[in-house]
Amino acid sequence: MHTLYSRVNNVSAMVSTCLMVLLGAISLSSLLFTADPKGTLSISSIQVFPGNARRYSNKNQDFTFVNFNLTADLTPLFNWNTKQLFLYVSAEYENKQGVRNEVVIWDRIVRRKEDAGLSVAGRNKYVFRDVSASFKDAPPAHYTLKYNIMPYVGVLTYGEAARTVDPVPFPERQDLS
Amino acid sequence: MFADELKTLRRLGVRHVLLQILNFVSVLASGLMIWKGLGLITNTESPIVVVLSGSMEPAFYRGDLLFLTNPPSQRYKTGDITVYKVPGADIPIVHRVLETHDFVSKEENLVAASPVVQKQLLLTKGDNNHIDDIELYQGLEWLERKHIVGKVRGFLPYVGYVTIAMNDFPQLKYALLGGLGLLALVQRE
Repeated sequence: MHTLYSRVNNVSAMVSTCLMVLLGAISLSSLLFTADPKGTLSISSIQVFPGNARRYSNKNQDFTFVNFNLTADLTPLFNWNTKQLFLYVSAEYENKQGVRNEVVIWDRIVRRKEDAGLSVAGRNKYVFRDVSASFKDAPPAHYTLKYNIMPYVGVLTYGEAARTVDPVPFPERQDLS
Repeated sequence: MFADELKTLRRLGVRHVLLQILNFVSVLASGLMIWKGLGLITNTESPIVVVLSGSMEPAFYRGDLLFLTNPPSQRYKTGDITVYKVPGADIPIVHRVLETHDFVSKEENLVAASPVVQKQLLLTKGDNNHIDDIELYQGLEWLERKHIVGKVRGFLPYVGYVTIAMNDFPQLKYALLGGLGLLALVQRE
């Protein structure tokens, strides 16, 4: 019990046990926070234009451009174990062939509680295209705001904060004149 | 320096040395059993991975540990952070799903056993990258379920840096293994 080796052994065993219990307690404490904030999402304009696919420049493809208004107060999601919040607006729709699609068109990383009260008038950051290269005759789409809470230690959680009340139809393809 | 240890070994005999080696090997074997058992429960080939690149910053930095599962009865959704391996590349990539396209079978008499049976095409993107991962797919246009190793469920910061250090400085790996082996052989218990 009095050699350097046994002292180092005991101290390191104690430190690692305490550290593991502490990390386990922190990750479990995230279960106590069950906030479920809701916001509003509305589409202000939506247009469909033709273009060329990125990889094959002679392949025609339809691109949809969406402008939306988003308000949400997500501050209840921030607790001592929240490292950042990953928010994303996605479009859910079924295309003419019956394929169910979900496409993320905008995202944002929120790292501080002060930035969590959102009021955004945004447009799609990412290219919104369909697997079949055309939005013709596609049924209307629902747009949702979802979040992913990323903790300092522990389990990642997901949730939905806003959803368009009525489905938004895809307009006819406009030609670039 | 080793004169004392050699004298002890000679006194205890060959049988003692063999017993020590057996102890060492059984520790290794139980470690391997736990690892493979975890892989079976979570349905992935490597349930714990270390983040290698900075493409998911500021969420995941190099050296963070991620816990994965691959539930066969759930389909992948946008926003899930997946670890995938493109055929032809050995390194697993940790990125977030940007698009999902589910081909639902319309056949009348087909009973879908699980969502995995239906074809699902995915597109991913790292949080810290500006564009999606098409360049990384080595010719594929979409990822399929079979390319995905698992979905990130839990996270532990900094712990994995040991494996990155051992990869970058192989001398550290040999020194550690050599030291552990020596310690196991000359331990009295």
